Amino acid sequence: MTQTTGTATQHTIETCNAATSTVTLALEMGLYPTEVLYGAAYIFIDRAFVLLDKDEGQGRIGRWLVHLRGKTPLDDQQLRALSGEFGNELLSQALRRKIVKQNQKLIEEITTQAIAGAAGGTLPTDFLATDDDGMDFLDDPLGIAVPWEEKFKKKKDEPAPEAKP
Amino acid sequence: MPDAAQPSQTVLLHRALYMQQAIKEAAETFADFASFAITRQGPHYAVAIADIDAEADGDVVAEFCNFALFNTMQKKRRKVQAVA
Repeated sequence: MTQTTGTATQHTIETCNAATSTVTLALEMGLYPTEVLYGAAYIFIDRAFVLLDKDEGQGRIGRWLVHLRGKTPLDDQQLRALSGEFGNELLSQALRRKIVKQNQKLIEEITTQAIAGAAGGTLPTDFLATDDDGMDFLDDPLGIAVPWEEKFKKKKDEPAPEAKP
Repeated sequence: MPDAAQPSQTVLLHRALYMQQAIKEAAETFADFASFAITRQGPHYAVAIADIDAEADGDVVAEFCNFALFNTMQKKRRKVQAVA
């Protein structure tokens, strides 16, 4: 059993089998929320078969179990590299989540301003009808929905315009 | 991790990590290659996979697991976005 320990992370290789190209990692549940686990699994889903499980742990803190199997045959070294990459991705996802949480308000504010700018300074509150003009959505006072042919149709008794020389 | 060589297998997907609807949708996706029966077994969903098409390209069971996981992630993300 190999143990990889970082400053803020800990993941353990539970099993590593080159014959079946599988590696199983155990992660402390307290360190990795499910969103982080999902985020890392999503990155690996195109390279490996990923199966997540939970070891409830009797009398100790529960663990996430991550079973990875390479889509192509992998040797022992490659499997260990794969598990290391997964550990790195976990860290990356955890950091990303922390940054998003810290800057949530700022991100929302910038997004709102960007949307308001794209809409020509119109805010969502501008769309709230304050007075009813009594018109239906099918009403067409400017005749926009009238086809061109109908609008400019020649009348029968109207003389044709003279041709210019 | 499921073994590709078996003609029928049972996969245990933990209920804390996989959504039933997501598993059902994955089963529908792979319905042409195997038959699926989903039951509850303790903290897991037990998915009995039988009649696996031997001529199917790739590992049907493992691909099914990936699809179930991906569907779950998508559904959970949509749920979070809907709440926000």
